[in-house]
Amino acid sequence: MSALEIRSIHKRYGEVETLKGIDIALDSGEFLVLLGSSGCGKSTLLNIIAGLAEPSGGDILIGERSVLGVHPKDRDIAMVFQSYALYPNMSVARNIGFGLEMRKVPPAEREKAVRETAKLLQIENLLERKPSQLSGGQRQRVAIGRALVRNPQVFLFDEPLSNLDAKLRMEMRTELKRLHQMLKTTIVYVTHDQIEAMTLATRIAVMRDGRIEQLGTPEEIYDRPETLYVAGFVGSPPMNILDAEVTGRGLKLDGCEEILPLPASFKSAAAGRPVKVGIRPEVLRLAADSPGPRLMARVEVVELTGPELVTTAIVGKQRIIASLPPRTALSMGSTHAFTFDEAALHLFDPGSGRSLRAA
Amino acid sequence: MSGTWISTRAWLMMLPLLVVMVAVIGWPLVDTVRLSFTDAKLVGTEGGFVGADNYVKMLTGSNFQRALITTSWFAVVSVAAEMVLGVLAALLLNQQFRGRTALRALMILPWALPTVVNATLWRLIYNPEYGALNAALTQLGLLDSYRSWLGEPGTALVALIVADCWKNFPLVALIALAALQAVPRDITAAALVDGAGSLNRFRFVIMPYLAGPLLVALVLRTIEAFKVFDIIWVMTRGGPANSTRTLSILVYQEAFSFQRAGSGASLALIVTLLVTILAVAYAALLRKAAGAS
Repeated sequence: MSALEIRSIHKRYGEVETLKGIDIALDSGEFLVLLGSSGCGKSTLLNIIAGLAEPSGGDILIGERSVLGVHPKDRDIAMVFQSYALYPNMSVARNIGFGLEMRKVPPAEREKAVRETAKLLQIENLLERKPSQLSGGQRQRVAIGRALVRNPQVFLFDEPLSNLDAKLRMEMRTELKRLHQMLKTTIVYVTHDQIEAMTLATRIAVMRDGRIEQLGTPEEIYDRPETLYVAGFVGSPPMNILDAEVTGRGLKLDGCEEILPLPASFKSAAAGRPVKVGIRPEVLRLAADSPGPRLMARVEVVELTGPELVTTAIVGKQRIIASLPPRTALSMGSTHAFTFDEAALHLFDPGSGRSLRAA
Repeated sequence: MSGTWISTRAWLMMLPLLVVMVAVIGWPLVDTVRLSFTDAKLVGTEGGFVGADNYVKMLTGSNFQRALITTSWFAVVSVAAEMVLGVLAALLLNQQFRGRTALRALMILPWALPTVVNATLWRLIYNPEYGALNAALTQLGLLDSYRSWLGEPGTALVALIVADCWKNFPLVALIALAALQAVPRDITAAALVDGAGSLNRFRFVIMPYLAGPLLVALVLRTIEAFKVFDIIWVMTRGGPANSTRTLSILVYQEAFSFQRAGSGASLALIVTLLVTILAVAYAALLRKAAGAS
């Protein structure tokens, strides 16, 4: 049974159409991440699911029931906001229990539920405090607690970690993953952070300009991006995109004589057509004596991040980035041979940006 | 001893202002205190020392007691009405609708009018022969014949309160609107999702943001209302039958109409003391509110 169904949702603000037909069906227990840069419509979609905004067209079904025109409180959802949105005048306990209080749950039952939730989130010792006496991470836990305590059918998260510092963000990410694995709740989670999307999601919807660019599991999004946009958005450093032409001998990179093999899954690409070739930085390695395709590139800059050596090199006139092991011996300004697994190449149509992978 | 040097310079720089303050506030205050213990007239006699006679006479006189009741009534009712109207107007103006900006600008107008202009305007509205209120009420069939709203002891004070509210509720609305706009959007959205109805949202979520600013408005308006003079002087001069005679009007009459500078001074000091007590009480309240949040 699908817990949440989004059916051709449109949203217009006057002349501007921010959502241009979104369709997603979500099974119970799924963790869907809406991923995209700001302005892509992901938060608008979340607000429409929550009932904080009305769509201009389409339908939202929660537990097989259309919730169009249904008040947010009656949609069986809970929401966690980027700003935490805790009630500043209430204690942590009352903040968590407020939704139950408004639903007239008896005080004893309410208190029990609040205690259990607080225990789950390890904030039992904070129950009497006011939000202003909490750290950012603690506030985030309270905000999550407020959603958990009601045990709704669908949880909505609006960029919940973006106000936290990097270390805390990682901790809370793991915490969210732990909670999801334990509680098997259905979650829709909005973020612009592709690492959050990759680590948390069971499915990712990459959004752009009010449309879904690609909907799939994290592996699918990462391994088989359907468009140039998805290829460039997911992965850090981003995928290298090189201009090339399909020839009888393989892929000839523009501006040099380098020829790359044409992978089997793209054999249908006609000779003579221009293409965009995608190679992830992490699949590139120094050739040494190993067999496989060769790519000669002149090393320009190396940046040691600790776990890897981010190497920028020039192929003809095009720039390429390789993530190499930290102790790789490279001499600046000299040309090195790089190699890669040819199955890791991606080909895109330069006009439409769509993948040329044979279905 | 650079500290001493800095503090000497600070005092020197404040000296001109201190001189002006002593001249225009300190000296008149001291002289009023001196006057209040004499039977001086406004013109003519310097008056002799009469001890606390003026105070006893004023505090035990029925005029003072009645004026105190009238003033309190005026202050409590008009300020309460202004607070309620102001908050309601602010809640309305905080909604999204067409023409909101124009309405916000319009609402400030009554408050921007000088009190005397406002008072004159309302005198026209209440006019017993051609007033708009009489015309409206008779045409609606709510009134058989024209009445003299400011001429009858039963209605004059209420009519004054209405005029005062109309002028002053925009100030409360403005303060409340500013406070409402400081309520984070996410918090009201969270309350919606949490299932709070509009009354509960107002009480639990919005009111905490409004309380502090509204307390400031309450302090300002109560003290102003307690000192009210100009609107009453223009509209009724304390009449009819002294039914709108507030403390400030009484002070004016005592000191200037009856030219009894001595007892007028004692009365003025009593009013000053009452307002000071109010101000101190409010300041304590504000400190408590600030401590709570």
